[in-house]
Amino acid sequence: MKMTTSVLLVGTLLIFIIIFVIVVIIPTYQAQITPSDIVRKRTQIEEEGRKIYIENGCTYCHSQYIRPQDWDLGADRIAQEGDYVNDEPILLGSIRTGPDLSNAGGEHPDDWHYAHFVNPRYTRPESIMPPFEFLGDKKIRALTSYIQSLGGKEADARVARQKYWNKILVDAYNKGPDSNVAILHRNVPEMWINMPNPYPATEASLKRGERIYQSFCIGCHGPVGDGQGPAAKYLNPPPLNFTLLKRTGASSGIFYYQIMNGITGTAMPYFKRELESEKIWDVSNYIMINFVGKKDANLEPRGIDASYEPVDSIEIKKYKGE
Amino acid sequence: MKFLDKPNSAAKNFYISSAFWVCVATLYGLTAAVELVAPDIFANIPELLFGRIRPIHINLVLFGFLTPSLIGTALYLVPLLTQTKLYSERLANIAMIIWNIFTAAAVFTLSGGKTQGREYAELIWPIDILVIISFLILTFVVVKTILNRKENLMFVSLWYIAGAFIWTSVLYTLGNVVWNPETGALKGTTDAIWLWFYGHNIFGLLLTPLAVAAAYYIIPRVTGAPIYSHTLSLIGFWMLLVMYTHIGTHHLIQAPVPQWLKVISIVDSIGMLVPVMTFLTNVWLPLKERFSTFYKEIAGKYVFAGTFFYFIVCIQGPLQSLPSVQRITHFNNWVVAHAHLALLGFAGFIAVGAMYYFLPKVSGREIYSKTLANFQYWLLMIGVNGFFLVLTAVGLVQGSSWLHGETIYRVLPEMVPYFTIRALLGVLIVAGFIIGFYNVIMTLVKGKEIRSV
Repeated sequence: MKMTTSVLLVGTLLIFIIIFVIVVIIPTYQAQITPSDIVRKRTQIEEEGRKIYIENGCTYCHSQYIRPQDWDLGADRIAQEGDYVNDEPILLGSIRTGPDLSNAGGEHPDDWHYAHFVNPRYTRPESIMPPFEFLGDKKIRALTSYIQSLGGKEADARVARQKYWNKILVDAYNKGPDSNVAILHRNVPEMWINMPNPYPATEASLKRGERIYQSFCIGCHGPVGDGQGPAAKYLNPPPLNFTLLKRTGASSGIFYYQIMNGITGTAMPYFKRELESEKIWDVSNYIMINFVGKKDANLEPRGIDASYEPVDSIEIKKYKGE
Repeated sequence: MKFLDKPNSAAKNFYISSAFWVCVATLYGLTAAVELVAPDIFANIPELLFGRIRPIHINLVLFGFLTPSLIGTALYLVPLLTQTKLYSERLANIAMIIWNIFTAAAVFTLSGGKTQGREYAELIWPIDILVIISFLILTFVVVKTILNRKENLMFVSLWYIAGAFIWTSVLYTLGNVVWNPETGALKGTTDAIWLWFYGHNIFGLLLTPLAVAAAYYIIPRVTGAPIYSHTLSLIGFWMLLVMYTHIGTHHLIQAPVPQWLKVISIVDSIGMLVPVMTFLTNVWLPLKERFSTFYKEIAGKYVFAGTFFYFIVCIQGPLQSLPSVQRITHFNNWVVAHAHLALLGFAGFIAVGAMYYFLPKVSGREIYSKTLANFQYWLLMIGVNGFFLVLTAVGLVQGSSWLHGETIYRVLPEMVPYFTIRALLGVLIVAGFIIGFYNVIMTLVKGKEIRSV
């Protein structure tokens, strides 16, 4: 076969157009335009926030679709075609340097987002997101509104739950420290309140707890646990000052529960997707011993110790039958 | 206006543009790489925000570095292979001026947050129009030159060059949805399908054919070994068009788009092995024991390295379109590694090599310093290989951690050492291109004049 001018100039264009029709035009006509059950129209301020999101290239680190194999933020709802009917342009993203945001609405209250935008390391010490303080108050609020709308109607319900608890917890905080601690502890299930730390507070485990504290907690609760981290001034209610608990009492079980589930309505996030059991118990030991000044590691009821746990001088006699 | 009509001036000017813009492009890339390690380093300078400079880096690499350089080569090759003059040197130069205007405009608009937010199609509508005008002018010039040809036989490079210009003129218009100036986008998942049809083909139907065209000409010239088979050339050309055009959706394998479209994209991604291997067979097979002849000329070294990267990247590409592989590689730096191997490794090395090969021919002066060109070669070589290894490794760390249930936040600290090495390697690449720019300028100013025969 010889290449001729007409084959080259017309033939190649023809093939290109035919393939374009197959892989682009046909799917365009097949596309689902029925909105999925979570979709709602965005408000004006949410649309403004979306513009800010696009302008500043948030999409180059944050994807907006959950894949079947995902675990992280928003992973309980896999993306559907009908979720995106209002999106122009669609912001699926191609890389996930930060977490997926397709269901981010209501995960955190607005004040957490505010502190996080001013400097992401205030709330997430190991984040590599750039600070967005330059946007100014108004744009940060618009951007927050957009993030809170991600996830549609399900997000709206989560936001409502945040607001409901926020009001109750702010009221309690305003009534003074005792009332604040009381309401926080009242909302922990009984079994957790009475649960001592099943992990021994060895030197190594406290070091591990310290590492977790610095990676997750320090931005709000501060290096000495007094609730004066850099994020604190943006948050209402403010982060708990752990040293208050010297008077009112606390337990590793309470900490475990609150770290695991977070305290919805406040900036305290849940960590059960990020930290496994041992890490939460280690950081609970760290907080109890360093900031509350109490040690409840391995108190009764404790069952049979795990085989790696250290054996103390009294126990050894029992085990050796002396 | 006479300077616009000087023979070969358009090609030369495109080369100068490319040598300049690549320095800007890689500096932006380096800045972004540094920010991933030190996120507060340029805190609250919106023009240097990661989310703004990443698209600047990508658009400059595409429209500032690779395309102009390869266009320069095309504008020299087309008259040479058709044994006639370029249809209009002036029109080509006007396209070059528009080209530089829109490239500068791209930097300013994206810095200011003026973007359409679609990856690879960020440029706002007025800039889109300038790109299209520029492409249409160049297409017109190239097609007219081919129609005026005195040599009846069309060499394979000509097919690829003509194809690249024609396809891209249409592709850019469609992919940027220019009939919708407001957003430059469509609604819903349809937008994603259009975007990735464009996003993949702007590389596959523009850079790949132009780079292949340059290699098809330069390799036989440098080594003295003719192309292996005309039939293979034909198969490679038509298969590239047919396969490549289908595969954009392989970026959306895990997204909610039609299943049949994903299947087509995967099948054709595997099919890409055919055009790639036919091209490589065609230029490599005749070499046999003459492989070392590449090293006679600095340009040959670059172009051979480019074809080798093409080999690697085009085995990796089809493999990573497979859903089982994507479970690990999708959404992380594995893909960034692949992109750098394709753009800096394959298209980049061929673009720079072709520039060093043709610059003496279009300027009438020898390359100012072969030593510097060689030094640049090694800086880029270490840089791109280092990038590939480090980013592939960190991509595997990310992908495997996520698959086992670690959250994004937990994996961030693990990425720090890799990102640090990556930023350091970036310094080598920036240095390489600054040396290259110096070499190009000095060639034009001080290069030894070649006595015309």
